[in-house]
Amino acid sequence: MTGERDVTVSMTVNGVSRQRSVAARTLLVHFLREELGLTGTHVGCDTTQCGACTVDMDGVAVKSCTVLAAQASGSAVTTIEGLSFGVIQRAFRAEHGLQCGFCTPGMVMAVRQLLADNPSPTEPEVREGLAGNLCRCTGYQNIVAAVLAAAASGAS
Amino acid sequence: MYPASFSYLRAASVAEALDVLSSSSDDDIKVLAGGQSLLPMMKLRLATPGVLLDIGGLRPSLGAVSVSAGGAEFGALATYRSLLSDPGVALRYPAMTDALRVLADPQVRARGTIGGAVAHGDPAADLPAVLLALDASVVLARSRGSRTVALDDFLLGAFETDLAEDELVTGLSLGPALAGQAYEKFEQPASHLPLAGVCAVVSLADGVVSRARIAVTGVAGRAFRALAAEASLTGQEPASAVLAAAAALIGEDAPRPLADIHASGPFRVHLASVLSERALRRAVSRASVGSQ
Repeated sequence: MTGERDVTVSMTVNGVSRQRSVAARTLLVHFLREELGLTGTHVGCDTTQCGACTVDMDGVAVKSCTVLAAQASGSAVTTIEGLSFGVIQRAFRAEHGLQCGFCTPGMVMAVRQLLADNPSPTEPEVREGLAGNLCRCTGYQNIVAAVLAAAASGAS
Repeated sequence: MYPASFSYLRAASVAEALDVLSSSSDDDIKVLAGGQSLLPMMKLRLATPGVLLDIGGLRPSLGAVSVSAGGAEFGALATYRSLLSDPGVALRYPAMTDALRVLADPQVRARGTIGGAVAHGDPAADLPAVLLALDASVVLARSRGSRTVALDDFLLGAFETDLAEDELVTGLSLGPALAGQAYEKFEQPASHLPLAGVCAVVSLADGVVSRARIAVTGVAGRAFRALAAEASLTGQEPASAVLAAAAALIGEDAPRPLADIHASGPFRVHLASVLSERALRRAVSRASVGSQ
């Protein structure tokens, strides 16, 4: 057994079954963006630090630049396009939790996980919970305010 | 960034994974668990394996976490996230929970595995210090048997371990928990990796330290026990001056500390010394609460 350089990847993305034959080295984020055209998931640092590529994989937020599409085969993936415009997004808008918006899809996906794990976080818990997401515009203050507002209005 | 091209295999069972490892003529086969260290290295082309053997699908058989009064067994594929949410780990091995809370970030913790952390041999990983202080053993399997090796013997140097090419890390085991444990780190803010991290485990009996284990990560080519500091504590009352004197001995067991653009060798030793004192204080305080 020597393995395959091309693999058939099947996964459910935002509720729709998808299948493609791709190079084994294809990362999940590139599978989503380039194969499926779901460009809401961003590539920021590409080094597992910034979290702009965060998606939900089988119910847990992960960095899709650090998962092979092949590893995600058989999984259910939710991207920012799969969410309705809900409490979290409304809180980001109300609190001005974004400026350029590049980090926002990853922030929203990470906040979704944060509030699922801890529906009533303290401010330090919000900051710890967003340790994997970088924003170069806001200084985080309004992002943290948005998360606290979303929690107060019952995001989870 | 893409990794260099490789052939991909997804193991359907532990037996199949071991079979692939033992029969492969490829000496550049790498096992992929959570991939949170290996994939970044492959994207930077610091690792270019020809074959990637994905064992991620084996979580049902290699992902269990079992903690009791007698000790703990962790499957190699137990994620940091699953360990962090395990009440048994928090109750009996609070130093692990200390480390897991500050290890990388939530998304990385969702994928990264304890077996991967040990097999990878990163000199700046958090958990090896904790596991070394808790006297962990590594369980290794190969198609014709298995063996258990003390973590202290398994770690050889930076990214070097005693793992043979046909072996798979299948789990870790810990002995009975000791009362007072704590982990402290000073992190590089972008990577969250410790410039120095220290785990202290202290037992008290009749008001004196009956046993102390201190392990340090981020400072040398591999996580190491601070034997001189440990020895200075045994039989002593855990007074502030005693803990400070022990912490000052950390450098004795790190004769050639790591140095890079983030921190010089002497600075890392200094950090380890400060962190040792903090970890010892918290460990002693937890041991005192636990013995009441």
